[in-house]
Amino acid sequence: MAELLIEILAEEIPAGVLPSAREELLKKVREALEDARLDGTLEVHSTSRRLILVGDGIAEQQPDLTSEVVGPSAAAAYAADGTTTRAAEGFARSQGVSVDDLRVVTLPKGPYVVAMRTVPGRPAVEVIAEFLPPIVAKMTFPRMMRWGDGKPLWIRPVHAIVALLDGLVIPFSLFGVETSRMTYGHRTLAPARIIVAGVEDYFTKLRAAFVEPDAGARRRTLAGQADRLAGEVGGEPARDEVLLDTLSHLVEWPLLVRGSFDPSYLELPEEILVTSMREHQKVLPVRAGEALVPHFLAVADQAGDPKGYVVRGNEWVLNARFADARFFWEDDGKLRLEERMPRLGTLNFQEKLGDYLRKTGRIQELAERLAGRLGFGEKVSLVVQAARLTKTDLVTDMAREFPDLQGVVGGLYAKRDGEPEEVWQAVYDQYMPAGAEDDIPRGDVGGLVALADRLDTLTGLFGLGLVPTGSKDPYALRRAALGVVRILLEKKWHLDLPIACSDALGLHAALPRPREEVVPEVRDFLLERLRFVLERRGFRPDTVAAVLTTECRDIADASDRVEAVEAARAAEDFVPVSVAFKRVQNILVQAGEIGSELDPALVTEDAERALAGDYFQAKGMLDELIGERNYRVALSIMASLGPALDRFFTEVMVLTDDPAVRANRVALLRAMRDQFFRVARFSEIQP
Amino acid sequence: MDLQTLIHKLSEYWASKGCLIEQPYDVEMGAGTMHPATFLRVLGPEPWSCGYVQPSRRPTDGRYGANPFRLGKYFQYQVVIKPSPDDIQDIYVQSLAAIGIVPSEHDLRFEEDNWESPTLGAWGVGWQILLDGMEITQFTYFQQAGGIDLAPVTAEITYGLERLAMFLGNKKSVFEIEWAPGILYGEVRHQDEYEASKYNFEEADTSLHQMLFERFEAEAGRCLDAGLVLPAFEFTLKCSHTFNVLDARGAVSATDRVGVIKRVRELACRCAEGYVVSREKLGFPLLRTPAPAPEESRG
Repeated sequence: MAELLIEILAEEIPAGVLPSAREELLKKVREALEDARLDGTLEVHSTSRRLILVGDGIAEQQPDLTSEVVGPSAAAAYAADGTTTRAAEGFARSQGVSVDDLRVVTLPKGPYVVAMRTVPGRPAVEVIAEFLPPIVAKMTFPRMMRWGDGKPLWIRPVHAIVALLDGLVIPFSLFGVETSRMTYGHRTLAPARIIVAGVEDYFTKLRAAFVEPDAGARRRTLAGQADRLAGEVGGEPARDEVLLDTLSHLVEWPLLVRGSFDPSYLELPEEILVTSMREHQKVLPVRAGEALVPHFLAVADQAGDPKGYVVRGNEWVLNARFADARFFWEDDGKLRLEERMPRLGTLNFQEKLGDYLRKTGRIQELAERLAGRLGFGEKVSLVVQAARLTKTDLVTDMAREFPDLQGVVGGLYAKRDGEPEEVWQAVYDQYMPAGAEDDIPRGDVGGLVALADRLDTLTGLFGLGLVPTGSKDPYALRRAALGVVRILLEKKWHLDLPIACSDALGLHAALPRPREEVVPEVRDFLLERLRFVLERRGFRPDTVAAVLTTECRDIADASDRVEAVEAARAAEDFVPVSVAFKRVQNILVQAGEIGSELDPALVTEDAERALAGDYFQAKGMLDELIGERNYRVALSIMASLGPALDRFFTEVMVLTDDPAVRANRVALLRAMRDQFFRVARFSEIQP
Repeated sequence: MDLQTLIHKLSEYWASKGCLIEQPYDVEMGAGTMHPATFLRVLGPEPWSCGYVQPSRRPTDGRYGANPFRLGKYFQYQVVIKPSPDDIQDIYVQSLAAIGIVPSEHDLRFEEDNWESPTLGAWGVGWQILLDGMEITQFTYFQQAGGIDLAPVTAEITYGLERLAMFLGNKKSVFEIEWAPGILYGEVRHQDEYEASKYNFEEADTSLHQMLFERFEAEAGRCLDAGLVLPAFEFTLKCSHTFNVLDARGAVSATDRVGVIKRVRELACRCAEGYVVSREKLGFPLLRTPAPAPEESRG
């Protein structure tokens, strides 16, 4: 059993691709080892410059592979006297065995001649030298590059490859680099060449050369230093697992240092300080309780900072960034957001949908109408004001500098301008929710403005025919639709989608596609997002489908019905009624859906009379319950009709020869179906 | 170390590594990349090693000289080497030692930062190089220029001279950098920063610049039609700068921007194609003379 060591030493590999590169390399080499029958266990390590594979228990030699090859049938292979035929000889020759080595086995199709064929195992070193180079060369990265003469193509230039099997070099070359037992230490702390004997020697020498190959160990070191350094100033590091991961991938030898910034910057909004620290400078903020303190923690690829250079440099940069942010904060403050509105006329939203001033006008009008439709008439003036300000931060320097904070910046400025809380919060929250799990806008005003913005975008782009296809969604319309769905769901706002879409569409200047196409398409697009959200929340797909295949004009209502159906499915009497409705549906299809108005005089049989009686009694109750959206009780009443329906099917022939009776029975079933399917298409539910 | 010594040491260092020392180009441009010694020389098979200072104008970055870190014009030290040598990172690290930085006493990191210029139809892959958390250099392996895939590949190293000088002098403001003994950067350049900001943001005659853009564009096209690649490229650079002034003046809307950038890119791409054709006609002269051999560089 042998140990394996592979190290690819490259120029700095982007931190963002290291995790997937590690996974891919580990998986592919593991599969290759298995396919090659070399067994063994494998682990992967990495630093900012290295991808490392360490294997143990690998066979030095592949086991021989013996396989049976089936030849001609026994009847064709042997003559009556038992001597071999030409067919047998030809087969033996083709397999490289003598006819005496052929055996007869009984297969399902009869007795056949087989040859045992042995492929001798090859040394692991040969096999690995064959499969490894193409695996590495074909690794996939989001952005590949060429270097030197322009022929190689990988994530970054490769400088050395260590490939050892039990201390012996596995010979191959890749990107013009020959494998060897040579690598190099840390770029600045120990750049000398290292000669590697084996796995243990490699790890020992790397660590002595200021390279910690284990990313987990680097991360733990950083986390420990963060706690200690923040504790020394009475604080704790911001909990940020994503950033900590990134930092551990940026270095070979992890060091965290603590720097300070001018406390006067704490007057700036926290959102801006934190974004500056995390996103721009990749340093960890420090908090005492809830509040930021004027310290930060920066990573370095270093063993120490005795002269304080690392602290000084990072402090310099962060103070410079904050100085810039303060400049924007103060300079932007010279104009109120309100006064910035005209400048939106110079900023285009979409070539054919006009500039942001026009968009603002549409958002304002649509939000106003939505407020009316959803019963927020008393908030109209707040809604209008918030809508007017929504996009004004796009013409501030701060939002240009911090594009991730669009909306947030506007909210902060609106607050500073003295706008009412509901107004500035609406501006602040306008891009929420950004995903399936984020919060939605806090207030009603925020919800209305966010809805109006998204419906405007959706109807406008659908109206232009710029509909997402496959993975292509350049205008992020899926996210916009998800936002609409989640706001309506969580605010429990019963909005008639076709009407709202029609409102939104009407505010656009002439669009090439007709309303009759666009409105249903946008509605279906929204319902598709609703399906995604509901399934993600654990509702069974057939429950969701049962509701979404009915007429759905209202997201919140559809969700109420899904919840009620899902709950009803637990009841014993529900399954029979859903089964019965499959039958109803089939019969109606067979009957071609024709049928008359229900005529009580034509109801003749007992079972039929019982069902009609139950149905008419239930119908009044159902109308009322469905009107109140009391779907649980409505479903329970529907389920209680199951026995009468079963008896009807047992005793009554629906498709009789008498056309009048037949039409009347179809009419009864159709009336029931139409009534019941106002809640869900039971026939969609899998028993 | 003052600014002029810094420039001198960088030139001395890169000359010792076999680079020809070019001079700044005398047309306004946004970055050293637009100097023909980079943008055109990265094209085609001819080897090329070169270093130079390039004043870089970014009208929208102007701050009237009021911001200690931002300038509407600053100096880049640009190095391009084609094909990119295997040990280019080591050569770069040693260049820091040449200007008085002991790398082992600092945090030196290469963080992913890919570069793209829609105006030039160019992009590359590389890093921003951080010294103690401060970006001092942009390092790019040029992959495409003027829409043409590049092989051999050029390594491009761009030092921000003011950044480096501030770092070396431990200055809190760019204007406090010593340019030469006894005279500060602010004393040389502050009036320029103020007046250029005032002009670009408030005074520039937009109708003149719009007209200039059109005329420069037409002239570039005319030169290209006449097979005069280098004059065409100069007019392309003038288009780009004129556009930047209009942009700072707030006279470019978002859609205009896309359209105008596309017009400049089309010129840049035609220049690139024309340049390769013209060099080919000349028989790629630099292929015949091997570039001066760099000195032993791995330490």
